[in-house]
Amino acid sequence: MENNKKNTALVRACCNAVVPGAEGYEMVVCPAADIYETSDAFIVEIDMPGASKESISITADARMLSVSSLQMINDSGGGEIIVNEIGKKKYHREFRLGTGIKLDDIRAEYKDGVLLITLPKADELKARQIRIQ
Amino acid sequence: MSLVRWNPARDLAAWPSDLFGMQREINRMFNNIFRGSEEGEEYALASWTPAVDITEHDDKYTVKVELPGVNKDEVKITVESNMLTIRGEKKQEKETKKENYHRVERSYGSFQRSFTLPTAILNDKIDAAFKDGVLTVQVPKAEEAKPKQIEVKVK
Repeated sequence: MENNKKNTALVRACCNAVVPGAEGYEMVVCPAADIYETSDAFIVEIDMPGASKESISITADARMLSVSSLQMINDSGGGEIIVNEIGKKKYHREFRLGTGIKLDDIRAEYKDGVLLITLPKADELKARQIRIQ
Repeated sequence: MSLVRWNPARDLAAWPSDLFGMQREINRMFNNIFRGSEEGEEYALASWTPAVDITEHDDKYTVKVELPGVNKDEVKITVESNMLTIRGEKKQEKETKKENYHRVERSYGSFQRSFTLPTAILNDKIDAAFKDGVLTVQVPKAEEAKPKQIEVKVK
């Protein structure tokens, strides 16, 4: 149970930032995420609209799960931009990991602008049925 | 050019994770003070407002809307005179129980954005495509709205 509690503190403070980049300044957006738990895994779903599957990189070590994308190309096609809310940006977010996650079995899929990461629980975190002797 | 409803509560809730959005809204407030509220604004009951980019070309407008995780069948695009409206709903499909959620930051429910485009548009030639959670709508301008070049011969 204690272990489980630690895992719920998956999230780090998250905010958008403007950082110096290769071509002037870059906007780094912290994407919105949902985190929930099933009997055998923690699931993180992240909204990353506009990012291509190839541009997303995910790394994980014992402490941190890190998700980022390359800067998106926003080609206006020579037109004049009249509303600019999306703009050029890249995504970055980190999630703190508790103990009890099988790092080698983390899976990810990307569909319709949503990245879904499955973090399987180690056996000691899984609920088990206890038989009365 | 006008945008949709402004929901101050949403932006306050998002602060400070959405400083850019906040800046946008401040710019918008100033615009409204100095120019008066723009016509064509629509204050609809939608639970979230997706971000958009609009680009004007000689022959068309390109409208991009961020709709991650939205099913394309749940999006409706309508045109009424010059007003383009994109509305729909993002459903929470998962059957996970509420208590199993540790965090919910993504937006669910109905959304809507409306834009009054400055020139006449061809209603029946609007084209839309979905890719990586971004809806791209191509709105062709009516013939009379396209810029024309007239050659004047100098004698």
